Amino acid sequence: MPVERILFPTKFRELSFNSLEQLFVLKQAGLKEIILCHVISRESVGFVPFGGYMKDEEERLREEATVRFEDWRTSIAEKGMDSKIVIRVGEPVPQILHAAEDEKADMIVVGKKKKALELPFAGSNTLEIASRSSVPVLVSKYMVHYEIEGEQHERVNERIFERPMLVTDWSEPSLRAVDFLKSLHPVIEEALVFHDIDVEKVHKKHTQDLAGLKKVTIEKLGAVCDELKGEGAACETHLGAGDVLSEILRVSRDRQASMIIVGTTGKGRLSEFIHGSVSHEVVKASELPCLLVP
Amino acid sequence: MQSGHSTDLGEVLTLWSTLPFAGMLLSIALFPLFAPRFWHHHFGKISAFWALVVSVPFLYLYRGQALYEFLHIVLADYVPFVIILTALYTVSGNILLRGTLVGTPAVNTGMLLIGTVLASWMGTTGASMLLIRPFLRANSHRKNRTFMVVFFIFLVSNVGGSLTPLGDPPLFLGFLRGVPFFWTFKLFWQMLCVVAVLLTLYFIMDSYFYRREDGTPATGTGENVPLSIDGAHNFIFLAGIIGAVFMSGVVHLGEVTVLGIHRPVQDLLRDGILILMALLSLATTRREIREDNEFTWFPMQEVAILFIGIFLTMMPCLKILQAGEKGHLAVLIRTVQEPYHYFWVTGVLSSFLDNAPTYLTFLSSLLGKFYAGTEAREAVGMVINGNSIYLKAISAGAVFFGANTYIGNAPNFMVRSIAEETGTPMPSFFGYMIKYSIPILVPCFLMITLLFYL
Repeated sequence: MPVERILFPTKFRELSFNSLEQLFVLKQAGLKEIILCHVISRESVGFVPFGGYMKDEEERLREEATVRFEDWRTSIAEKGMDSKIVIRVGEPVPQILHAAEDEKADMIVVGKKKKALELPFAGSNTLEIASRSSVPVLVSKYMVHYEIEGEQHERVNERIFERPMLVTDWSEPSLRAVDFLKSLHPVIEEALVFHDIDVEKVHKKHTQDLAGLKKVTIEKLGAVCDELKGEGAACETHLGAGDVLSEILRVSRDRQASMIIVGTTGKGRLSEFIHGSVSHEVVKASELPCLLVP
Repeated sequence: MQSGHSTDLGEVLTLWSTLPFAGMLLSIALFPLFAPRFWHHHFGKISAFWALVVSVPFLYLYRGQALYEFLHIVLADYVPFVIILTALYTVSGNILLRGTLVGTPAVNTGMLLIGTVLASWMGTTGASMLLIRPFLRANSHRKNRTFMVVFFIFLVSNVGGSLTPLGDPPLFLGFLRGVPFFWTFKLFWQMLCVVAVLLTLYFIMDSYFYRREDGTPATGTGENVPLSIDGAHNFIFLAGIIGAVFMSGVVHLGEVTVLGIHRPVQDLLRDGILILMALLSLATTRREIREDNEFTWFPMQEVAILFIGIFLTMMPCLKILQAGEKGHLAVLIRTVQEPYHYFWVTGVLSSFLDNAPTYLTFLSSLLGKFYAGTEAREAVGMVINGNSIYLKAISAGAVFFGANTYIGNAPNFMVRSIAEETGTPMPSFFGYMIKYSIPILVPCFLMITLLFYL
């Protein structure tokens, strides 16, 4: 599944272009076109109380967006890729999802480009797009301010495809994530492949001993790594034990991953509420860009 | 807190006290016209400003009595008003009509007729939101679409809502004041006359334009999707809303005191059921249906914000009018004498001011005229028994004339907004009046006057 067309929705917030620039490297992996998308919220132009629709305002906002995009398009063209402008009016989430479908995008890039300390790593719209999209969603986090154990940090996420960390639980989506990662091999320096063993659950089940499970898992991780090496990317495996989220965060920091790739089942809200979603938890808790593969 | 001196308050208040109400209504009428961007961003502040202008001096001068009156209008009128509108808006927003309709004169007339019938049961806002997008889609191949949307506003967004308190906000306010649920059915013949004339005229105009456009076929140009209704189970919740409102008009379960205001238990029960219906509708309907309906809470937020200003500023005006000839608006009560006066004065003001407060204002003047000093609910019953033609005139005037301008009724501007957004050119504020409402609606209303009020 090569990434040939990327949908890049933006509100033109600070550092949006820097975030876009991080994608240019994907040309080496087959990227041909970037679709620049801006959604004008209906509330900003329509339903003026007792008034109607502000067509002039819509035109003004469209023109503003087009002018801003033209600058970006020049940069994209300089890198030898095509670009297209898509401007829609409506609710952001459905409009972005429809745009991705209409434009046959292979990946959507969303998320805050600059995160202040008090804000979460991903907002509700980002998570909703991630859970409903039928194509992979990259939650880019260009500049993040965050806190670990009371200590404040600032991080700029650049060269995000160099050390991706693939989190796998052997589910269908995570196997698709392996395929997706393979398609990015020309831009990967070294991939990390990770699996977490829930030790507590294994002990409760008594169906197989931990050592046996560990052996099998390491073999499977090795097989994934071999696939990636076959594509020409270096690879290392990592096994975690215990709380999966903490382990993902720990290993990604220890091994200096540049992004986290995780399969997502796109569960409904109810299921998510009851069972939780590891992929969403990772997006919310990690300072790294996260690529969710459905 | 007691309301024992409420009539006294109406007798002592001067006309100055009605200025914030006039200011609020004029703001709604003029800002969207002359400063739409400013209004769009600041209408909440403007509403709050007028609310403060009226409430601060009132609370200072009349203290407990003013507080009682403000709380009463908020709890007895504003809150139920917002709840019913939100419930109808939510449930109808969860129903989606899909499928390929080809906008021929017959199909269009049929859609308008269906919308007109639905409007009395799911509200003019609900019926408009349900049908405007399918109506526009069905006619996307037609060149002349403007007049279609105008007739849609006439029939579905206004006239169709005249039969039940669910149909149009003024009638619901009347219901809250004691007008029985089915009493508004007495407007049936008036409504039928207007609808018959408008639909006939529409059919003639549409046929004329259809022929001139060579009957441009829309079939075969795209995927032919069979007609279907998504979220049809929401009609159950709609029935629940109708049942709850009807129940509150016929059942008496006693009273409870909320913040010092006596509230009938059945009214609280009704509001609870309406909220439950809206929540069930949201919980049981797929999000994609709302998205395809372009459902957003923004119009309801607007209503809630604007109408708190309207209801608070309206209070002094209502009190003065309820005081009848003892109040400072005695001249208005003496001048507006005949049923056709009420029909036209209520109507003309409803065209330019929102029709809900206008209705309540003239209902109060009617009560003041015939039964000054009598408790409002009791006086409404007496009007219905002895002078119901006046109430018919006010009700019909408020509902029918709401179609005269874009600002006469809330769904008008929503329909206009959606039509413009999807590429149908709509006339300006005055263009709408000069080209459509004055030449088409005013003769219809003259006919109603001749047939029913003279």
